[in-house]
Amino acid sequence: MGEVIVITSGKGGVGKTTTTANIGTGLSLEGKSTVLVDADIGLRNLDVVMGLENRIVYDLVDVVDGVCRLRQALIKDKRYSNLYLLPAAQTKDKNAVSPQQMQQLTAELAKEFDYVIVDCPAGIEQGFKNAIAGANKAIVVTTPEVSAVRDADRIIGLLEANGLKNPQLIINRLRIDMVKRGDMMNIDDMIDILAIELIGVVPDDEHIVVSTNRGEPAVSNDESIAGRAYRNVVKRILGEDVPFMDLDTEQGFITKLAKMFGFAKKR
Amino acid sequence: MSENAVVFKGTKEGLYILIKEDMDLDKIKYNLNDKIKPSKRFFEGAKIVNFKGKKLTKEEFEELKELVENDYGMLVLGEYTQDSDMLTDKEDAKEHMNYEKLPYDNVVQDKVLMLRATVRSGQLIEFIGNIVIIGDVNPGAQIKATGSIVIMGTMRGVAHAGSNGDYGAYVAALNLLPAQIRIGDIITRSPDGLGVRTSVPEMAVVKRGMIFVEPYLPNR
Repeated sequence: MGEVIVITSGKGGVGKTTTTANIGTGLSLEGKSTVLVDADIGLRNLDVVMGLENRIVYDLVDVVDGVCRLRQALIKDKRYSNLYLLPAAQTKDKNAVSPQQMQQLTAELAKEFDYVIVDCPAGIEQGFKNAIAGANKAIVVTTPEVSAVRDADRIIGLLEANGLKNPQLIINRLRIDMVKRGDMMNIDDMIDILAIELIGVVPDDEHIVVSTNRGEPAVSNDESIAGRAYRNVVKRILGEDVPFMDLDTEQGFITKLAKMFGFAKKR
Repeated sequence: MSENAVVFKGTKEGLYILIKEDMDLDKIKYNLNDKIKPSKRFFEGAKIVNFKGKKLTKEEFEELKELVENDYGMLVLGEYTQDSDMLTDKEDAKEHMNYEKLPYDNVVQDKVLMLRATVRSGQLIEFIGNIVIIGDVNPGAQIKATGSIVIMGTMRGVAHAGSNGDYGAYVAALNLLPAQIRIGDIITRSPDGLGVRTSVPEMAVVKRGMIFVEPYLPNR
C-alpha cells in the first residue's frame, strides 16, 4: 500500500505545482513508482509543468464519471517509466468530483504505486476538500512572505481538523541575501509561527522558471540549486536524514572570489 | 426519460409535431403526455398539420393520432404517408436545395456553428455539425464537432473533428499548432519540443488510418 501525500498551501503562486512535479520526479528518480494527481480541476497546470499536456485524452473527472478506466487516464512520463500523471479536467469545475470519489480514487492508486502525490488547488473550498480527502500525509508549501505564512497557518489548522496530523513544511523561493539584509522573513521566524516539521528549504532559482516553461522538472538538473534542494526533500520523504544545505555557500563564483579577497558587499 | 423525443414546431401552415429519430413508441407517447399534460387547455382544439421526423408505421401513426385526438382534444389534419419527413414547409425545402449540381466533390450541407471569439483555456465548443471559429483557440481549449473544424486564426488547443466517427472530417487553421488533433477515434499529438513552425495555413486529414497535416494551398 503506497503513501498518499497532498501538497497544499492555501495561498496561490507559492509553488505547489512546481513542488509536486519535482517531488514526484525525484521519487521516481529514486526508483519509487509514483503517480501525480492534479486536483486543480478547471485550472490544471501540472500537465504543462510536466510537459505532458499534449498527451491528455482522458482526465480525472472522466475516471470518476466512469467514462474510462483509471488505467486509460494515466499518462506515462516521457522520461521516467515509473512516473505517471493523472491530469485534471479543464472544462469542468471543482464540484465535478466529491471527496468520497477522490478517496476511492487515491486508494485505488495507492494499491499500485509507492507514492501518490496530489497537487492541491489554492483556496480552502471544495477543491481543497477533494485534494485532502484521500491523503494520509500532507506537505505545506509556503514562501517567506507574511501573507503566505498566514495562509499556511490556516491550512495547517484545517489539515489537523481533518485528521491529517503532523503536516510537514517546505519553504520555497527563499532568498538568502534578502534574509541576511533583514528584508525577508527568516526560516526560524516561520518555524516559530507554524510549529511544524521542516523538510525542505528551496532557494529562489531562475532554473525553475526555465524548467517550468520547458516542462522538465528542475530536480533532474544537477546545475539547479533548487533542483538539489528538492532532491534533499525527496530523500527526507524516504526517511533519510539529510542535513540542510548551507545556502550561504551556494553563491556565484565571482561573489565567492570577492569575498575571499574581502571585497564583498556588506551584508 | 428526460430526453426530448417530441418537439412542437409552429410554421406558417400550422403546428407540426416533430419526432426525434431512434425513439420507440413508448418513449414518444411518454414525452407527448409529459409535454401536453401541464398545458392541456392550451393544446385543446389545436390543429396539428402532421407528424414529422421519425418514419412512423401506419399503426404507430394511428396510435399517436388517437392519443392526441382522444386524450387531448387536438385535431390531426394530415394523412399517413410513407415519407413522414415531408418537405411541406418552405424552410425545409430550402435546406434541401440541390447542391449536387455544383461541379465540386465533398459539398457539405451540414449545419455550421460560426463563432467570432478567442476560445480560451477551459472552454469547450461542441456542436453537431461543423464549426468555424473566427479567432484563435488557446491551449487548454477544446473544439469538438461531428463534422469539420475551421479556425480562422491560430489553433493551439485540442480539436476533435468527426466526433461521431467520421474519418472524412478535417481540421483546418490559418496557423495549425494544436496540442492534439482527433479525427473520429484517431488521436495524434504535436511533437515534443518546439517542432516545426510553418507560416502557411494547414489542414489535418485522415489518410491510411493516420492523421496527416499538410498545407491545403500547395501552390502558395
